[in-house]
Amino acid sequence: MLEARNISKSFGGIRVLKSIAFDLQPGEVHALVGENGAGKSTLVNILSGALRPDSGELLWDGRPMQLRDPRHARALGISSVHQELALVPQLSVAENVFLGRHPVARGLVNFGEMHGRTRRVLAELGREIDPRRLVAELSLADRQIVEIARAVAFESRLIVMDEPTAPLSEHDAQALFRSIRLLRARGVALIYISHRLREIFEISDRVTVLRDGSHVFTRPTSEVTQEELVRAMIGTELKERLESRAASRAQSEEALRIEGPVRLTVHRGEIVGLAGLAGAGSTELLEGLFGAHGRASAEVLVDGRRVRLRHPADAIRSGIALVPDDRKAKGLVLGASVQHNIALAAGRKRFLVRRSLEERAARHWITALRIRAAGPGQPVVYLSGGNQQKVVLAKWLFAGARVFLLDEPTRGIDVGAKAEIYDRIRMLAGEGAAVLMASSELEELLALADRIVVMHRGSIAGELTREEATEEKIMHLATGGVD
Amino acid sequence: MSGLLRRFGPLLGLLILCAALGGASDRFLTADNLLNVFRQSAVNAMISLGQLAVIITGGIDLSVGSILGFCCVMVALLMHAGVPPAIAVAAALAIGLALGAINGILLTKLHLPHPFIPTLGMMNVARGLALVVSGGFPISELPSGFRFLGAGSIGWIPAPAILVVLCCAAFSVFLGRTTIGRDIYAIGGNRQAARLSGVPVDSRLILVYALSGLTAAVGAIVLAGRMNSGFPLAGVGAELDSIAAVVIGGASFLGGVGTVSGTLVGALLMGVLRNGLNLLNVSAAWQTVVIGVVIVAAVWVDVVRQRAAERTERIG
Repeated sequence: MLEARNISKSFGGIRVLKSIAFDLQPGEVHALVGENGAGKSTLVNILSGALRPDSGELLWDGRPMQLRDPRHARALGISSVHQELALVPQLSVAENVFLGRHPVARGLVNFGEMHGRTRRVLAELGREIDPRRLVAELSLADRQIVEIARAVAFESRLIVMDEPTAPLSEHDAQALFRSIRLLRARGVALIYISHRLREIFEISDRVTVLRDGSHVFTRPTSEVTQEELVRAMIGTELKERLESRAASRAQSEEALRIEGPVRLTVHRGEIVGLAGLAGAGSTELLEGLFGAHGRASAEVLVDGRRVRLRHPADAIRSGIALVPDDRKAKGLVLGASVQHNIALAAGRKRFLVRRSLEERAARHWITALRIRAAGPGQPVVYLSGGNQQKVVLAKWLFAGARVFLLDEPTRGIDVGAKAEIYDRIRMLAGEGAAVLMASSELEELLALADRIVVMHRGSIAGELTREEATEEKIMHLATGGVD
Repeated sequence: MSGLLRRFGPLLGLLILCAALGGASDRFLTADNLLNVFRQSAVNAMISLGQLAVIITGGIDLSVGSILGFCCVMVALLMHAGVPPAIAVAAALAIGLALGAINGILLTKLHLPHPFIPTLGMMNVARGLALVVSGGFPISELPSGFRFLGAGSIGWIPAPAILVVLCCAAFSVFLGRTTIGRDIYAIGGNRQAARLSGVPVDSRLILVYALSGLTAAVGAIVLAGRMNSGFPLAGVGAELDSIAAVVIGGASFLGGVGTVSGTLVGALLMGVLRNGLNLLNVSAAWQTVVIGVVIVAAVWVDVVRQRAAERTERIG
């Protein structure tokens, strides 16, 4: 029903799309994969009317079409569900679904009809959410469904989903997939962008790979192996690097010990994984350990010494670092330069800023972590997600941290950057640092962690060594099962 | 190119304005008149420095005009009571600093939702106190040694202009070269990330509001010296002039952005505009209209420039 032919697009002389061909059938989930910068967003923006191609043509039901803007695309039945949710939290579910086109009766909003229609749309997606509830009260997973419901209520025939599962736990992602399958059964076509390859195999019918702005292939997903897909995306075999399990270098000295409602120790050179469903409490645990919520309720020992953590500054003085789950909201000063961000935690001991030293440090980490930036002075807002995350990491490496609390360290970043961050985490452990790492991607924990601690509703449900850990056992503990 | 334009855009605007006014009035581009502009702009420039620091943190200080009024009355009253000028000046500075610090403490420790609230409160309290202690009347005839700071000159350079330059230099080093200054930018850029990087956000904010109170007190001393009196309605509306100077100078209300040089240019631009319109016999009422238009136009130009810069940066 949609066909794109020879689509090209350049920005400032750089060709980001080179004669791309793409087509979409009704009732199909078409995965679009590629590293960051491969051209996925540009292509999707062209298909949803946000950008115009420099050349090439779009056909909609076999007829040429020119999309003026996203409004026009929506009117034709093309909607996007964005990574950054575009909902108004202070309004109800129904008001969000019908935002901008409330059903009206005699000049007034017809709430009865609005609630009824919202309930029907949500039922079509297999979810029961009270249309009267405020969006602010909903979980991230439910908010996403509200966004999708909005697209469905618009009678959309094509829905673009950009990294919909990035903020979701495994469990919520499954619920999302059920909704996607219901949509597919009704003949809606979906373009599905994700960095999680396993999801692509689970949900998509066909997959298109882009690399450096070129079309690599489009094939039925069932005929592609994961290796083929990864190789097509990155051109080299990164898979091994992603999954290699280096031997544990854990030493006997305790680097971090928590004694409270949650009891946990991390040794020097050890990577401990924290698994759990969304809301199981790993973010609260890590941020609490860092003093982010005021006085920590637990006793914390670093290198055997009791430390008082009332403010992140206390944690930093004790050599603790936190890579937060949301780098844009908590990790970076987006408008500030790479250099400023890298120096933010380390450089506070002195009164005067030592610019030359900080510039040298920034250049060092840009090279060492292979941060793709124009230079130390470039604002981090212009970097890709993976490079932004490396800046967050560089901040703590420069600050000389010895205990690393990593909360979803590879959320929403491409495979290449992910492999580099894995390498760096292993290197940190190899140098004797202690790593406590929470992730909702089980493969990631299985690949990196020496031990996996599973959380359930704010407390520890169990612990698995790297030898005994499997996805099934982790999920069993995470959903409240007992050994 | 766009970087240069961003840096010197406000300055370019100022120069164009000066050239235009020089063409329109032969009295504008005389040494006497330009020195006069510096003297007239000094008070606003001074307050704007503190306001700049506040706006960089993403805040706003509505109380500077009233703090200026209160300090103006207090310094005059103290000298009338026989306190030596140096001590009276020190006391006025301490009062400004303390009132500003109270703003910061109210903001951070009472968790008031926005700096608008505590500084709006302080704006009323300080103005009220100025009227109470003065009984509503100006306190005139101040010692000549004191008046030097507002009305004197060193050679042909007005003393307040020298004071402004010194304070600009100090603020420039403070904001640009010290770790505390950098914390201030980081707080405005992303408060949460700054906190999670170990920045003591609360104490930095208290310091920033205290400094804003301090610069208002310095402004009060210059103004009292120039007018040879402490009058309780001094600085009415000064908070808005200082905000205008800061935003004309390229600072962002969203926080994290702003420079001392831009702010100084912003304050001079407003001074030049007022002076030039006076020379051209434009009525005070129309002057207000023009200044309103200039504020919006200056910020709009900045927005356009920023968008253009973003477009080139994103591709690079």
